[in-house]
Amino acid sequence: MIYLNNAATSYPKPQCVLEAHAAALCHPPAAQFRSAEQGSREDLWDACQKMMGRILGIANHERIRFTSGATQSINAVLAGLDLENGHIITTVTEHNSVLRPLYNLPQLSGCEISLAACGNHGRVNPADLEALIRNNTRLIIVNHCSNVTGMVQDVRAIGAIARHHGILMMIDVSQSAGCLSLAGDEWQADIMIFTGHKSLLGVQGTGGYYVRKGIELRPYIFGGTGRDSTEIIYTKGNYEYDAGTQNMPGLAALKAGGEYLLEQGIEQVYRHERMLMERLYSALRGMISITVYGTVKTNMGPLLSFNIKGLEPSDTAYILQNGYGITVRTGLHCAPLIHSYLGSGEKGTVRISVSGFNTIEDIDTLVDALSQLDRR
Amino acid sequence: MQILAREESRERCAEAGWYAYDLMLSEPLSETGIRQLKPLGSFVYLGMLKKPFFKVENHYFILKGILGDDFFRVAVHGDHREELERISTFVIEKL
Repeated sequence: MIYLNNAATSYPKPQCVLEAHAAALCHPPAAQFRSAEQGSREDLWDACQKMMGRILGIANHERIRFTSGATQSINAVLAGLDLENGHIITTVTEHNSVLRPLYNLPQLSGCEISLAACGNHGRVNPADLEALIRNNTRLIIVNHCSNVTGMVQDVRAIGAIARHHGILMMIDVSQSAGCLSLAGDEWQADIMIFTGHKSLLGVQGTGGYYVRKGIELRPYIFGGTGRDSTEIIYTKGNYEYDAGTQNMPGLAALKAGGEYLLEQGIEQVYRHERMLMERLYSALRGMISITVYGTVKTNMGPLLSFNIKGLEPSDTAYILQNGYGITVRTGLHCAPLIHSYLGSGEKGTVRISVSGFNTIEDIDTLVDALSQLDRR
Repeated sequence: MQILAREESRERCAEAGWYAYDLMLSEPLSETGIRQLKPLGSFVYLGMLKKPFFKVENHYFILKGILGDDFFRVAVHGDHREELERISTFVIEKL
């Protein structure tokens, strides 16, 4: 089987991730502020925060929190910020993990939401985004790397705009953390959202968020934390954000995945993935029945979307899976708004997404299969 | 041809109002058998592929599969899930 669906979840995982996950379940549980063992060795939580700080480009790594993934992170942040009756700007490239909380969280029911458009390859012009700013705009949310087109947005420029207007900026790096160099502090990111099971090579059920110092969230879940159990009502606003027993085996896997990437070098991983993508883009350019929603020069992420004339995306995926043993993803990819801007229609696209474990042979096998479909 | 089992497909179509199932067959699909499905709707057969693909489509359901496989996929619209029984009967009687 050739796995080209890494933008959904990465496979395979490095051996060190498998071992770390298994070890976390086999050995006595790591302390989570609840054990007499606390302080006897570096806490897994702290070590994972430090690792994520390096990957996100964030110096204040203690401001990184862990959750079950990007979706929970976005809900926690949007429910926790004081955005009452404010205006929020986001983009049509967003995943439903952003769009659905924005339009459904009761805490945001009084907020107005504006959507910045994108071009036919998924690029959002920062100037278009700036033009949507109003006096009461409180937050800009931007998807760093599109999970549909692989377009990487100019978050540095958007960050400068947000800072100039005194607006918070949230960057969703779910698709880019672990495969692109990130510079949260340089980009002036106020909030960053990540998931653990994609390019960070961790397991499903892990992720988190960073919130800059000075921005306080009201937690949207409360419960046991193992710290000061006598304080039932947080009268001083000294909230805790890690209620409930945390996914420590997941964090052990995430830490292992992140450290593996840092050891390999994210730039090195990116170069390999980029080489594969360039090979794929180059091959697809010669296939007349295939429309690619991006170009090798503009769409820099490790994924692309396409359609084959006369075949629905789900048919293409079925043929690739059952005829050639190649796993891809089709449909709207949980990003429903972008497709009318791409021209990819209501059935969406076929998406190819690579990881550092894919090979030239994987891409060439895919290209051979698509060549047969192109010549049909 | 017998249908040994009907399994909910791992391909999740429900989001778009469709429900997908894999019909597990008693023997591999032959080209002759596939062509017997033609009366059910518009018919596509891509015989030039390494493993030929077929698709039959009408307003209420879509069938798709690969020559030589011992299963094929049926997606039925949520409002017409009874079509699954009709398709199953057709397969048993005609293939």
